[in-house]
Amino acid sequence: MKRVAAVMAGAALCLLVGCSAQPVQPWQRGDLARPEMAFEPDPLVASYRRHVQFSKEAASGGTTLGGGGCGCN
Amino acid sequence: MDAIKAPNSVEGPHAQHGDLSVVRGAAPRANHVVEGPHAQHGDLSVVRGAAPRANHVVEGPHAQHGDPGVVRGAAPRARMSASLQALTSAALAIPGMAQAADIETDYLYSRYEEGDLPAADSASGRASERYSIDSHLFRVAGVVGAGNVAADLTVESMSGASPWWVQPGADGRPVQVMSGASIEEERVDLQLSYAQPVGVIDAVAKLGYSDEDDYQAANVGFEAQYTPPGAPYTLSAGIGYSDDRIEPTEGGSAQYPDRIRSADKNTWTSYAGASWILGPQTVVQGVFGYTRHDGYLTDPYKRAYFVASAGTVPESRPDGRQIWTLSGRLRHYLPALSAALHLDYRFFRDDWKIESHTLELAWQQRIGEAWLLSPSVRWYSQSQAFFYAPYYADFRDDGFASSDYRLSPFGAVSARLDLKRSIARHWTVGAGIEVYEASGDYAIRSVDVENPGLVDYTSLQLRVGYRFE
Repeated sequence: MKRVAAVMAGAALCLLVGCSAQPVQPWQRGDLARPEMAFEPDPLVASYRRHVQFSKEAASGGTTLGGGGCGCN
Repeated sequence: MDAIKAPNSVEGPHAQHGDLSVVRGAAPRANHVVEGPHAQHGDLSVVRGAAPRANHVVEGPHAQHGDPGVVRGAAPRARMSASLQALTSAALAIPGMAQAADIETDYLYSRYEEGDLPAADSASGRASERYSIDSHLFRVAGVVGAGNVAADLTVESMSGASPWWVQPGADGRPVQVMSGASIEEERVDLQLSYAQPVGVIDAVAKLGYSDEDDYQAANVGFEAQYTPPGAPYTLSAGIGYSDDRIEPTEGGSAQYPDRIRSADKNTWTSYAGASWILGPQTVVQGVFGYTRHDGYLTDPYKRAYFVASAGTVPESRPDGRQIWTLSGRLRHYLPALSAALHLDYRFFRDDWKIESHTLELAWQQRIGEAWLLSPSVRWYSQSQAFFYAPYYADFRDDGFASSDYRLSPFGAVSARLDLKRSIARHWTVGAGIEVYEASGDYAIRSVDVENPGLVDYTSLQLRVGYRFE
């Protein structure tokens, strides 16, 4: 059931963003290259906030390696 | 730094911005301006800094046609289409979008303050002050040879009281006992990274050390990213290791005889994922992560309360922990609004039976050329560790016990607002605020007994950046 839901969600996302067989050409990637479109536009603030969350919540990690541990957790 | 202003003849009008283009591989990139997907994906954040990657941006149409002559020789830019040129200049006009400078420096100050423990949740019956932290983050990033070097230094000073143990109050409701004396601590953390293309792979090596009076951690890491030629996707992976040593203050002292003197732990972290370009304005990413902790994972300062003995003992957690995460991120640009929508989700599960969901929604609004305003909201929820209880009727068979609020079931919401402004060509200034509130009510499943030590905090950031050319 979960798998079906995931596929449906994927398909819905695809429709939403207008997936097509046409690949996005390099010269159409101007908007994608904007700094505010980065997965992490602001590494400095993001790493700070991740550190705070790491010290206050049980869950951490995901898309980065993080640094070393600290006495805060 | 003229040396790195590479193949002069190739460059058009942008050369004077200090191109750090890394030309590599058989098909050299027509230095800057819109390049493949990896430019913005994958968090090889080192490379990224305030300004995007050195080897960014274009692979114009000519690259596609595989006409090396266009890129290589002194081929005139005139062969570039007019629209690409317009795009190029537009991209370069965006602050922070210009090529990586010779050296970028950033400083961020943050003041973090936890809300008081309310009198109703306090064993003493009086409200109690909690932690406050002053953090100074310095970042220096620049180009060395064919790669990018970044150094991040964090200096933090913490003070205040923290939760010690939880015991039943008059009505059986758990109340928090705070650490007696005010804690004063300092932490210094240095992280170095070096990013360089290795063949077709964008590779990053990391090295770091964190030092506190009672805690030292040394970490190393390696990350790699690869975009097959012409592919709409980028693959990324990373692996890291941290070796930590804990030497609690007054461990084994006359005052705290049952507090350990020292212990070790180590952590392996890894992830692998892919990002896809779904359209000219949309990119998504999926990442699977696996982490393994071994060693002393207990908080040496915290204690757990047992009704049977009407007293406390040092808390105790398993000496291993495995963690699995599944993360998804979406970025969608809305040209009409000059804004980008960010949606992040993470599912987390570990073998302490903690399950967690995190959802983050951010809006990046460009205002004119100089301003960037980004409001964001975050929702977090976790279930409890299998051995957690606010307090215990009697000892568990496995000997584990922890009343740490961080292992309790709860949810949290936070709201942030960040503002950045570029000034002239070299300066960036900014400010940010975050308000965070944790509560049993925000958890995905209803929480029967909320831990009285759940934290609320406010943090304020001020920053300044300068680019040396």
